[in-house]
Amino acid sequence: MKVEVHVWDWPLRLFHWLLVLSVLGAYLTGKEGGDWTDWHARFGSAILGLLVFRLIWGFIGNTHARFSNFFPTVPRLFAYIKGDWHGVGHNPVGALAVLALLSVLLILVGSGLFANDDIAFEGPLYSLIDKDLSDKLSGWHIRAVNVLLILVAIHVTAIGFYQHVKKNDLIKPMLTGKKKLPGTLAPTAVASVGIARFVIGVLLSVSVVWYVWGGDPLKYLQPLAGIQSAQAGGKIQ
Amino acid sequence: MKQKLAIGLVLGAAATAALAGPIEDQIRFRQSAYSFLGWNTAKIKAQAVDHPETFNKEEVVAAANAVAAVANSGLLGLYGEGSAEGTGWKPSRLKVEYFEKKDEVKEIEAGFIAEANELQKVAASGDVGAIKEQFGKVGKTCKSCHDLIRVRE
Ligand code: HEC
Ligand code: HEM
Repeated sequence: MKVEVHVWDWPLRLFHWLLVLSVLGAYLTGKEGGDWTDWHARFGSAILGLLVFRLIWGFIGNTHARFSNFFPTVPRLFAYIKGDWHGVGHNPVGALAVLALLSVLLILVGSGLFANDDIAFEGPLYSLIDKDLSDKLSGWHIRAVNVLLILVAIHVTAIGFYQHVKKNDLIKPMLTGKKKLPGTLAPTAVASVGIARFVIGVLLSVSVVWYVWGGDPLKYLQPLAGIQSAQAGGKIQ
Repeated sequence: MKQKLAIGLVLGAAATAALAGPIEDQIRFRQSAYSFLGWNTAKIKAQAVDHPETFNKEEVVAAANAVAAVANSGLLGLYGEGSAEGTGWKPSRLKVEYFEKKDEVKEIEAGFIAEANELQKVAASGDVGAIKEQFGKVGKTCKSCHDLIRVRE
């Protein structure tokens, strides 16, 4: 008997589709150049924020969002190859793809922040390093784009393979959050998303992006932390 | 009269020498010309795109004039045989493939000149919005050439 199980929490799904849109936007605006470089920086910054959020959510998100839940350890990989893996979230090979995609995006954002195009476009942290290094990072930025294209192609092909050959729909669960699974695999209780954790993740992500662009998020976060510790203090007494 | 002719001949010969030049000279002129372009495009970008509140028509017109002047100076004359491997102020970043893609580059160069001329006109009008738009078009022609024949660091 199959039951419907809640697998992907909504912040994870929101992250996923916003990332798809932002990567598409960054790719197209990067290739186009000219007037679109401003938008390239905006999409790139959105990706930076999304990545920071994902890293945080990988530790404080719901079960299947956590890295510990799907980290492709060697025993897990072997079990999967032998057909002995019976998990609910990312399978170990899919997890490898996820981590590779996140890593190359981190490299792209990291290099982009310091890059320049010698015409009229610079990343917000360009002035922190010397021109030669920025030129090198710009070259690596563009090389990393090619790696990203390959990984995206693998990711999309694999999902198509699961969809049509293995008859395992992976797209709908990423939209609705729900997977149909054998009853034996269904987790007993499904935790709801902790709003406080979500807000903390978003605040930190926004702060990082803002800081990179010369803002001073600490000024606003400190009073917030103050309120929280005051409340916590109040409860203890 | 004879004297004038002689001077003319000598000047002409000197000019031809400067034109063809040892290959290192060509590369140095080329790198200088593009660096100078970069200085001017950065100025236009700062004043017409990033911080329009700092827009100074005189400076932007001067920068646009400089870009147009350099664009029209016949830069492809500095792409002599062997200039992809040489060293000017620093090792050249011209790709060797340039010599197989000359026709394509000529087209890009023509587009670059046309957009730079237009920018010069638009800058004289002082319309910041129009300058921003036209500046984007110039930037695209720079990028299309770099994407095609400039070595990635
Ligand atoms: C016809 C092709 C072409 C066009 C058009 C072009 N460039 Fe370049 N650019 C090059 C090449 C080739 C180099 C590398 C030259 C070398 O190292 O020998 C270069 C180098 C540069 C450099 C580095 C110079 C240095 O040595 O430090 C800058 C800056 C630059 N270009 C800016 C621009 C700008 C701005 C525009 C448009 C306004 C532009 N370029 C248009 C081909 C082009
Ligand atoms: C904050 C993040 C980012 C910043 C500030 C940034 C900045 C830059 C800069 C300065 C360039 C010009 C480099 C050059 O011409 O040498 C560039 C090019 C480019 N970037 Fe980014 N980038 C960022 C993120 C990304 C991401 C995440 C992607 C992934 C899709 C991406 C895709 C591209 C592409 C496709 C180009 C054009 C490459 C080409 O000319 O062929 N960028 N970026």
